[in-house]
Amino acid sequence: MDMQEIPTTDEIRDFVRPHQVHRRAYADPEVFKLEMERIFGRMWIYLAHESQVKEPGAFFRTRLAQYEVLVTRHTDGEIYVLHNRCPHRGARMCMVDKGKSQLLNCPYHAWSFRPDGTLSTVPHKQSYPESFDMADPINHMQRVKHVQTYRGFIFATLNEDPAPLLEQLGEMTDIIDNLNDRAPEGEVELSESSFTLEYKGNWKLHLENAADIFHPTFVHSSSVGAARRAPQNASKIDSDQTRVMLEANGFGVQQWEGIQLKGLANGHTYMSNFYSKGVMVDSDEDPVMAEYKQQLVAAYGKEKTIETLSVDRFNNIIYPNMVLNAQHQQMRITIPLSHDRTLVRVQCFRLKGAPDAMYHRAVRFLSTLASPASMIFSDDVEMLERVQVGLDRDDSPWVDFSRGLDIDQTDDTGAVSGVASEMPMRVQFKAWVEMMTREAA
Amino acid sequence: MLDMTPQSRVEAFLFREARLLDTGDFAAWLELYAPEGVYWMPSQPGQTDPLNVASIIYEDYPILSIRVQRLFEARALVLTPMPSTTHMLSNIEVEEGDDGIVRANCTFLCIQYQSSEQKTFAGRQSFELEPVGDSYRILLKRVDLVNAGGTLPLITIPF
Repeated sequence: MDMQEIPTTDEIRDFVRPHQVHRRAYADPEVFKLEMERIFGRMWIYLAHESQVKEPGAFFRTRLAQYEVLVTRHTDGEIYVLHNRCPHRGARMCMVDKGKSQLLNCPYHAWSFRPDGTLSTVPHKQSYPESFDMADPINHMQRVKHVQTYRGFIFATLNEDPAPLLEQLGEMTDIIDNLNDRAPEGEVELSESSFTLEYKGNWKLHLENAADIFHPTFVHSSSVGAARRAPQNASKIDSDQTRVMLEANGFGVQQWEGIQLKGLANGHTYMSNFYSKGVMVDSDEDPVMAEYKQQLVAAYGKEKTIETLSVDRFNNIIYPNMVLNAQHQQMRITIPLSHDRTLVRVQCFRLKGAPDAMYHRAVRFLSTLASPASMIFSDDVEMLERVQVGLDRDDSPWVDFSRGLDIDQTDDTGAVSGVASEMPMRVQFKAWVEMMTREAA
Repeated sequence: MLDMTPQSRVEAFLFREARLLDTGDFAAWLELYAPEGVYWMPSQPGQTDPLNVASIIYEDYPILSIRVQRLFEARALVLTPMPSTTHMLSNIEVEEGDDGIVRANCTFLCIQYQSSEQKTFAGRQSFELEPVGDSYRILLKRVDLVNAGGTLPLITIPF
């Protein structure tokens, strides 16, 4: 097999052409190892939201590159990211996804640690040698050195000398701001419940799919058709939201040419919204929206409220692992496991101070879009898995991303605009090459 | 027809529901539900709130009917080829309430086979049934998966 060789920097550059990408970007385990080192190991990676670790002792378990980590809140209120590994004999420590404890205990020999990772106690201390130093970081749970929060979103990096977080996020901070600004109290909380789906495919396939305005008509035709034939406003429990959401995936030329796509530096992309009906839009006839808007006006004034609500964007993809939808308070996180296995964690936000019914709609959106029984995402997952099956075989080396190549517009800042285009995937791969070939700092 | 105790009448009704799902007669399955009937599959163990906590499925008859329509769509990718299933029910307990509503609960096991892959789902189902003639209509069916809260495989045909 020629695929076991670690690709050189020149080879990685050759994987990405203006309109094509080599299948090894998806199918080669050696490429995946480099991605863990150079993308997920060097860039700022979103890990958790502050509302998941509200109280001292609260922790949340997730992954950073190839490592399992705990995001913790220490007794002094500081947030830490710790490797989920006991420094004594190396045992994996925490076996649950979230919880709260003033001490983290290793069940093997009962070393116990504070939420900042420092060693609190060891049993039968008198049998340790004099040289054993409780304060020595080697005996502490290993900390990820660089952790930063932007308006509630916790990012960390394994990079010893990282570029500033805000530089990496670039303009995409505006959508995090917009999400928070949509809350009358200026803050959001992440939902307690979430869905975690695993698909047998490369992590990049999910980000491409989230930026792809062409597939819905075809991939989701079964639920679009069923929703179109169903009577309107028939459900007593969801104000017709599920049916409207399913129906909205029936894109035609109007959506293909009407949805505005934007590509930015560092692989970030976003698209304009395409929901135009029912409770999915801002309508004065909707009593929930009316009450919500009054609250926003009371908190921020009329001008700011109009400005906040006029941000009409659907998927905002913060490379390399976040898909954020501020307008509908949704978030999907891509967690790579191997070159052909990926977890997608899907959650929604509560706008603090907004009517309960707004949150109920966000919860309904989450279930409709991304539950394991979703009539939408299940077909996406099926398609991503079929793509991986094809890319794992060497029938042909290249995949095509040429659509829109001749009609995209690039402005002075380097931002690219397009419609009916696969530009977002090209923007993602441009950043991918930059990150994969950059010399370590 | 055999004389039936309330217990055996409920059992026969639940077995019929399972058979309709196994035979792909989803239209007849849907008609077991009352017009205001709800199918609820919580996402979390012990979940009590379907509005503030996401559910795997929380759908009343009109939304369920869209789900059933999709099961008949030839273009549903995840249903190509159509999975085949065996739904098994056991440990059935039945209680008749003073309000005339019959409450039943049971354990279930569902084997789903598709494209040379076999999946197993298991858990507990609980029902609120409204007596209609010799049979019932489903007011509420709740399905608690044994692995609720975990990383779940895709769910296509209901349990």
